[in-house]
Amino acid sequence: MDAQALKDNFAQVAQHGDAVALFFYSDLFLRNPGLREMFPIGMSHQRDRLLSALGRVVAQVDNLPEVVPFVRQLGADHRKFGVEALHYPEVGQSLIATLRYFSGAAWSDALARDWGDAYTLLANVMVEAADEDAKQRPAWWNAQIVAHERRRFDLAVLRVVTDRPLPYLPGQSVAVEVPVRPRMWRYYSMANAPRHDNTLDFHVRLVDGGPVSPVLVRSAGAGDWLKLGSPVGTMTFNERSGRDVLLIGGSTGLAPLKAILERIARSPAPPRVHLFFGARTADGLYDLADLTKRAADSPWLTVVPAVSEGGADGAEQAEQGVLADVVARYGLWRDHDAYVCGSPAMVDATVERLVGLGLGMDRIRSDKFADA
Amino acid sequence: MNSPDISGAQRLTPAELQAVNFRRAPLGRRGFDEDQVRAFLGQVEQELVRVLNEKAAMQHEVGRLRDRITGNPQGFSPVQAEDAHIQAVRILSKAQETADHYVADAQRYSREIAEEARRGRDEILAEAKARAVLVLDEAHRQASTAAEQVKPSSEPLSEDERRNLESEIAYLRTFSDVYRTHLRSYLEALLRNVEEWDHSEHDSTPGARTPLPRPR
Ligand SMILES: Cc1cc2nc3c(=O)[nH]c(=O)nc-3n(C[C@H](O)[C@H](O)[C@H](O)COP(=O)(O)OP(=O)(O)OC[C@H]3O[C@@H](n4cnc5c(N)ncnc54)[C@H](O)[C@@H]3O)c2cc1C
Ligand code: HEM
Repeated sequence: MDAQALKDNFAQVAQHGDAVALFFYSDLFLRNPGLREMFPIGMSHQRDRLLSALGRVVAQVDNLPEVVPFVRQLGADHRKFGVEALHYPEVGQSLIATLRYFSGAAWSDALARDWGDAYTLLANVMVEAADEDAKQRPAWWNAQIVAHERRRFDLAVLRVVTDRPLPYLPGQSVAVEVPVRPRMWRYYSMANAPRHDNTLDFHVRLVDGGPVSPVLVRSAGAGDWLKLGSPVGTMTFNERSGRDVLLIGGSTGLAPLKAILERIARSPAPPRVHLFFGARTADGLYDLADLTKRAADSPWLTVVPAVSEGGADGAEQAEQGVLADVVARYGLWRDHDAYVCGSPAMVDATVERLVGLGLGMDRIRSDKFADA
Repeated sequence: MNSPDISGAQRLTPAELQAVNFRRAPLGRRGFDEDQVRAFLGQVEQELVRVLNEKAAMQHEVGRLRDRITGNPQGFSPVQAEDAHIQAVRILSKAQETADHYVADAQRYSREIAEEARRGRDEILAEAKARAVLVLDEAHRQASTAAEQVKPSSEPLSEDERRNLESEIAYLRTFSDVYRTHLRSYLEALLRNVEEWDHSEHDSTPGARTPLPRPR
C-alpha cells in the first residue's frame, strides 16, 4: 500500500472543501436510501467530523498502531448509532466513488486498490472492536430522569437512573440522546463517582440556540427517558501518583471534577485538594453551597470561587478575575496533578498558564466542552 | 467430524458450513457451547463483510470497465447512466445543502431571540438594582439629616423642637417601611414575570415523555 499516494490524493480531494462530503453522503443515500434515517436532518456537523476523522486516519495509515486505539473506540461508539458490520461496505463504496469523482484524471487503478485496502483494514478494525464491545456492554443504556433541579434560568442539575449498571471512571462523559431531538447525541460528564443504585448526576448549561441543551434544561423533567452511550474521556483521576491535586472548572466544567472529588474523598488518605470554581458572575457559581459544605467537612479540601465579570456584589467571598489569573495568584503548583475542564478558551488559557508556572504537560489532564 | 474453528486466514465455504459440528455445552447447561457458537458467528460475519467488500469493489470495477467502452451495439450508453447518477448526486447535494441552510438559519434565529431575551432580563435586573440603590441612598440621606438634627447641642431642646423631631423620625420610619414594601412587591412582580416567561416557554416545547425504548 502506498501511504504517501493516499495522503497526497486525500489532500488534493480535500481542496474541494464541503462539496466532497456533500457528494459522499448524496451518493451513499442514493445507493442506500435506508441509511438516510440513521443521520440527523441537518448534516453540516457530521460532514465536518467524518472528513476530519478520515483525514486523520489516512494521514497515519503507514503508522497504524498510532491510530488503532482511536479507530477501535470509534467502531465501538458507532454501535449507539445503530451501525452494523454490513453497513461498512456500503460506506466504503461511496467513499471510493467520491474520491474517484474528485480526483479526475489523477485517479488510477493503483489508487483505487490502495484506497479499497486501506478502507477495508479500517472497517475491519472498527467492526472487530464493535463485536468485542458487544460482548461486554449494550449499544446504549436507557436512563430515566428521577430529579431535575433548575439552579438558574439557564442551568439544571439532573439525576437519572440507568436500566442497568453503567461502569465508568470519575472524570468521564457519555453521549446523551433525548427523544425529542432524535439522532443528536451530545456529551455530558458524570458529576458523581459511581454509585451502587445506578444513579448518575449531570450538570447542563443552556447554550443559546443549541438544539439539545435547552431541552435538557427547560423542558425535561422527572419521568422522562434518555439514551446514554458508552463512557468516554481521558480526564480521569490518576490514582497512583500520590501528588496533591488541583481541580479547575469553569461553569459546568465543574461536573467531572466533582466526580473526581468524590472519588478522592473515598480514599483512606486523601491528598490535599485545591478546587477552583469559576463563572462570569456570582449567580453562575451554581453549586458553591455544596462545595462549601464539602470543604467544611474535609480538612484536606480548599474551595476557591472566582468571578470574572459583574462586580463584587453577591460574591463577597469570590476572587475576581479569570481562572488562569486567579489560580496563578494562589501560588506555584509544581508538585500537583492538575485537572482542567470548561470552555475551550478557558481550558487553553489555564493550561498555558500552568505550563508557564512550571507544571509539566504530563501532569495536566483536561477536557473541553465544545463540539468534538 | 469437523469442529468449527476455522483459522481466520482460511476462507469459509458452503461445504464447511454444512460440516459444522458444535460441542455440546458443559455439563448442566443445555444446547451448544456458547463461546464456540459466538466465535463461529463472528467468523461468518467477517466472511460476509469480506464478500460484500469484494462485491462493492467488483461493481466499481465493472462500472469503470463500462466507462472505458464507448458506444455499444444496443445504443445504450453506460456513460450516460454514470452521468445520470452524478446528476442525481448533484440534485440531492443541493437539497441537502438547502436543508442545512434552513437548519442553520433556524438555529441562528433562535440564538438571537435567546440573546435578546437574556439582554432584556439583564436590563430588568440592572434597573431593579439601580432602583434599590437609589432608595437606599435616599434613606441614608434622610437618616443622616435626621442625625444632624439630633446632634447633641449645648442648648436643651425645647418642647416644640422635640415634638418636631419625633414626628420627623416617625415620618422617616413610615417612609422607609413604605419603600421597603414597594421594593419588595416590585421585585416579586419581576420574579412572577420571569416565572411566567419560563412556563410559557416550557408549555410551548413538547415534553420528552415517551415510552421506554427497547434496549438492543
Ligand atoms: C466531552 C464533553 C463533555 C461535556 N460535558 C458537558 C457537561 O457536563 N455539561 C454541559 O453543560 N455541557 C457539556 N458538554 C457540552 C455539550 O456536549 C453540548 O455541546 C452543549 O450542551 C450544547 O448542546 P446543544 O445541542 O444545545 O448545542 P450545540 O449544537 O452543541 O452547540 C450550538 C453552538 O454553541 C456552541 N457551543 C457548544 N457548547 C458550548 C458551550 N459550552 N459554551 C459556548 N458555546 C458552546 C457550539 O460550538 C455551536 O456553535 C460537553 C462536551 C464534551 C465534548
Ligand atoms: C471507516 C469508517 C468510518 C469512519 C472513519 C467514521 C467516522 C465517524 C465519526 C468521526 C463520527 C462522529 C462521531 C461522534 O461524534 O461521536 C461518525 C458519526 C457517525 N457515523 Fe461514522 N464512520 C465510519 C463508518 C460509518 C458507517 C459504515 C456508518 C453506517 C452507515 C456510519 C454512520 C455514522 C452515523 C449515523 C454517525 C452519527 C452522525 C451524527 O451524529 O451526525 N459511519 N462517523
